[in-house]
Amino acid sequence: MNNTNLENYTKEITNKFSNKITKTYQNNNELHLNVELNDIPKICDYVYKNLNARLATIICSDERKNIGGFVIRYVFEKDGVFIFIVVSTGQNLSFPSIALHIPSATLYEREIKDMFGLIPAGNPDARPLVLHEHWPDEVFPLRKEFELETKTKRQEKEYPFLRVQGEGICEIPVGPVHAGIIEPAHFRFSVLGENIINLETRLFYTHKGMEKLAESMRLDEVLLLSERISGDESVANSSAFCQAIENIAQVEIPKRAKKIRTIFGELERIYNHVGTLAGVSADTSFPFGSARLNILKERLMRLNESISGSRILFGVNRIGGVRCDITAEHKKLILETLNEISGDFDKIIIILKSKSSFMDRLRGTGTISKKIAYDLGTVGIVARCVGIDVDARRDHPYGSYYLHNHKTPQELMQHQIEMEKRTGDALTRFEIRVQEVQDSFDIIRESLDLENDFLFTSIPERLEPFRSSLGWAESHRGQTLHWVMIGENNSIFRYKIRTASFCNWPVIEQAVLNDIVPDFPLVNKSLDLSYSGNDL
Amino acid sequence: MIKVSRKGIVGNGIETIKNLTNLLSSKNYRGSVIFMAEPTNDQRKMLEDICPTKALFSIKENNTMGLDNGKCIMCGYCSEAAPKTIEISNKPAIPAKMRNQMIDYSSPQTLSSKKSYEQIGNELKEKIQKMFGRSLAIRQVDAGSCNGCEIEIAALNNPIYDIERFGMRFVASPRHADVLLVTGPASRNMEIALLRTYEATPSPKIVIAVGACACSGGIFSDTYATTGGIDKVVPVDVYIPGCPPRPELLLQGLLLAVNRLKPENKKQI
Repeated sequence: MNNTNLENYTKEITNKFSNKITKTYQNNNELHLNVELNDIPKICDYVYKNLNARLATIICSDERKNIGGFVIRYVFEKDGVFIFIVVSTGQNLSFPSIALHIPSATLYEREIKDMFGLIPAGNPDARPLVLHEHWPDEVFPLRKEFELETKTKRQEKEYPFLRVQGEGICEIPVGPVHAGIIEPAHFRFSVLGENIINLETRLFYTHKGMEKLAESMRLDEVLLLSERISGDESVANSSAFCQAIENIAQVEIPKRAKKIRTIFGELERIYNHVGTLAGVSADTSFPFGSARLNILKERLMRLNESISGSRILFGVNRIGGVRCDITAEHKKLILETLNEISGDFDKIIIILKSKSSFMDRLRGTGTISKKIAYDLGTVGIVARCVGIDVDARRDHPYGSYYLHNHKTPQELMQHQIEMEKRTGDALTRFEIRVQEVQDSFDIIRESLDLENDFLFTSIPERLEPFRSSLGWAESHRGQTLHWVMIGENNSIFRYKIRTASFCNWPVIEQAVLNDIVPDFPLVNKSLDLSYSGNDL
Repeated sequence: MIKVSRKGIVGNGIETIKNLTNLLSSKNYRGSVIFMAEPTNDQRKMLEDICPTKALFSIKENNTMGLDNGKCIMCGYCSEAAPKTIEISNKPAIPAKMRNQMIDYSSPQTLSSKKSYEQIGNELKEKIQKMFGRSLAIRQVDAGSCNGCEIEIAALNNPIYDIERFGMRFVASPRHADVLLVTGPASRNMEIALLRTYEATPSPKIVIAVGACACSGGIFSDTYATTGGIDKVVPVDVYIPGCPPRPELLLQGLLLAVNRLKPENKKQI
């Protein structure tokens, strides 16, 4: 099916821009179109608006040594196909911005400006993003000549926040060190009375230079790094990385490994969703719910530990398959624990839903509109809560998810109706999370009849230099997308990570508008965003 | 696993655990790396290369090896490469007051704390009462962690570990805190914020570095974006190894931390 789509899109775009496309080639489900620098806005606009493709990511890499310029890859996704618009900047140190056509491109372009020193001409926001104000001008970490261990001298500067002025408006600065046990970020609220007029988020406090670090590591070390992109998404991110390498090596992993990856992916989804639901309950000041759900989370983490040796599922994957097996003994343990937990989970949810003070607090809080969610390119639950039906497990099946995607026409229809009804508030997100936990229980139960083949397959000793591929997975936050280009001697030439949180963070600034300040923690928790996964 | 009465989650009585020793960890939990035999010359070189965080290192003088628990992230690559020489034990490495106390040598070591959770907690309670009166206020600071350590720290608050029964409590501001529980390799973007948090905390104060990243930079090592450990930014009193450390271990770390306070500090309160 994907192949016909691939052909169709190739035809459609090449017909329209036949004289502008210099080269076309296909790589698995990726369609690469090389174009000239000045044609970028036109072609991207066409792909985005006429083909209705979502902007998945923008990847920049420093290929000056190989082809004499930086290369920017605009990646769009549609119907299981990734469309790469590839452009080389040549001698130029600027490239035309597409942010005015595609709002979600703004952050990617600012990131490229910080890390590579390329100016997005026409991007309305010229402020730094990843590197904070202490970082010196004219030093760009992802350029090849930059040494990983460089310690730059701090400089004094101030970040220009958007000022909201007027009678009775005051500013509340929050963070980077917060009141709870959460990760760091700075939030600048402008409020009128209690209502939030404007919120500006300043992230990247946990920026650890992972993409640069990966370029100095062996492949199996990068795997460990990918698990630690965001501790609670370890299986999703490491699966995505492994898939990228497996695609490059053109190996197919054994069926048993596929199922084990699926099972661990779903175990991860369950424990995190249960944890988020507990957090939502705590933020509505309903400790009963959070205490009970946290008990379930702890039991799930102990289940993780007994199977994989790590409470948060580190060390599950390896390139070419999986590292830990699910034995008959484990199978029994999983089934017993899940049966116990699914019963308990349903009981708690019934109680939560019967408490009007809890439900009222969620209803209509943190509402986002479908248009905003679409424009900002959201993924995962944040997109699904307004009826944008994206799910990497179904759109680009990986692991053994192709076994779970069959729906009867009636089920499909019901799914569509359900999607149309979604209103984008915290309550919708609560309900979707509950539903997804229950679905995950089913997926795990169905996946437990493992094939009797191998845990992993070997990958070629030496991967062909400068081959590249995408890898993806659906974490509990949404689609995580990794792009790897192999360098010489099995090194990593470029590792671009785009987690779901990077797509979903901008939406919080919109979601809290006109809510009151005390609702912010609740909205934040209901969106469930990772700071580390965003900051890298 | 925890024994629960099958009345279900509602009305199941007390879930809080009293004695942790018999369920401390499941048998294949990756807790710490231990040497089973003396590595040969070839093995030493191979192990040094294979360790992603350089936790394993050769000691040239006597042809032995050392293991820095403050760097180890329990990936298990070493035991896969040399299964007879190195094993992964399900007993976690223990917290230490000094960075060099975290190093094990390839001569067999005995490392286990036989104390039960309740014992540790009670011991802790006495010490805290001496130092801080009746309670200990903890402020958690994330200085760039991957949020794995945050999951475990947050677990201390759940009904199963229930840290508050020992008189310890997470507070919202460093101005209310006695202890800073710091995670992450101290990213450069968080350096100033961490320093200011430290300065805002009234004396006497304790800083606990939680996890391999906080102890040494861990897998994120020392790069343009990180500083390579919390002790590069603020003085650290206790190091808790692990990636991430178990909740029980965090409690043990707190115990060590309080022990460290000198009696004369009491006068400053």
